[in-house]
Amino acid sequence: MTDNGSQQTATVRVQRFNPDVDKKPHLQEFKVPLQPGTTILDALHQIKTEQDGSLTFRRSCRHAICGSCAMNVNGRNVLVCKTPLARELDRNGRVTIKPLPYLPIVKDLVVDRSSFWEQYLRVKPWLIPPENVPEKEFRVSPEEVEALRNAETCIMCGACYSSCQVIAMTKQYIGPHALLKAFLRVLDPRDTAPAERLADLAGDDGAYRCHTIFNCIDACPKNLNPTQAIETLRKLAQKRQALDAARKERQKTLNQPVR
Amino acid sequence: MYKSTGFISFFLRRLTGIALVLYLGMHMLVIGSVTASPEAFDATLAVVQGPMFKIAEIALLAAVAYHAFDGVRLIIVHYFNVIDYRKSMFYAAFAVAAFFTAIGGLLILQLLAAHTAG
Repeated sequence: MTDNGSQQTATVRVQRFNPDVDKKPHLQEFKVPLQPGTTILDALHQIKTEQDGSLTFRRSCRHAICGSCAMNVNGRNVLVCKTPLARELDRNGRVTIKPLPYLPIVKDLVVDRSSFWEQYLRVKPWLIPPENVPEKEFRVSPEEVEALRNAETCIMCGACYSSCQVIAMTKQYIGPHALLKAFLRVLDPRDTAPAERLADLAGDDGAYRCHTIFNCIDACPKNLNPTQAIETLRKLAQKRQALDAARKERQKTLNQPVR
Repeated sequence: MYKSTGFISFFLRRLTGIALVLYLGMHMLVIGSVTASPEAFDATLAVVQGPMFKIAEIALLAAVAYHAFDGVRLIIVHYFNVIDYRKSMFYAAFAVAAFFTAIGGLLILQLLAAHTAG
């Protein structure tokens, strides 16, 4: 940080790439005013509105719920809307912003997330409800709901997917994001097809492809634990017939109060 | 590369794994010379007990120790929920491996010194 009279400034290095003009990505430096509470997203907006309108990046809600603004800041994947700029500056008052790694770059900080979404769709991320839907609500116990909380909190930002070393090696791997969402459905007592899901997930491109490198946990802005979900999927897959039978039993009582 | 202790562990595990497979191949060839004749075996072994190979054995010990203790760490991680300790467990495994490599390395060097002196 340098003191410019009353105004502090930070140096923001952003990776630029315009496919129409550039052969390869390059870093560009901007000076950005720094105030208490300035986030990296604020800095990017300042650059775009006041310095270079061609800077391109994804963002929406600016309060860490939409998952649009995941980027690589100083080598780590973060949501820039909730990352304070001051905290990321090095001794020379500089921060480096790059797009999410291992994904094709569309322009500047925008990456092509097609493989991310394809893998998500592949695990059928929707409830397959039982035939007998209760008149009112499904009766699910607090413990059953609690088991789903972490997987439900995921905002699909892509920080985990893009930090995963296995994804870096191959896009055939389903990925921590999709496996976490699949885990959500497998554990949901209202879902009728856990064994079928597990059969698909526990293949060579699914739960067994994870090498427990833990980058996903490091990267997740919601402090979620995809690695543990994946390990649980592995264990459940071994006993999927038993799980299926238990699920059928449970679903007989889904419209009865839980005691 | 996305840097983390998890990545270093993964990378070194792969590297030492490949190195150990290659070593095993060479080891089988060397020991397999016994099927040719006692003289062939003695001659082959005389080559691989030279000083350069003794030093290389320290590297081999490092590979075995790292792969073994990181493997133990991996098994613990798979069966117990120790995500909160993931970094410190890697450092611990690395430190233990380094310790055994140091001890063994010193012994090998000591033997080498005694052998060349005597």
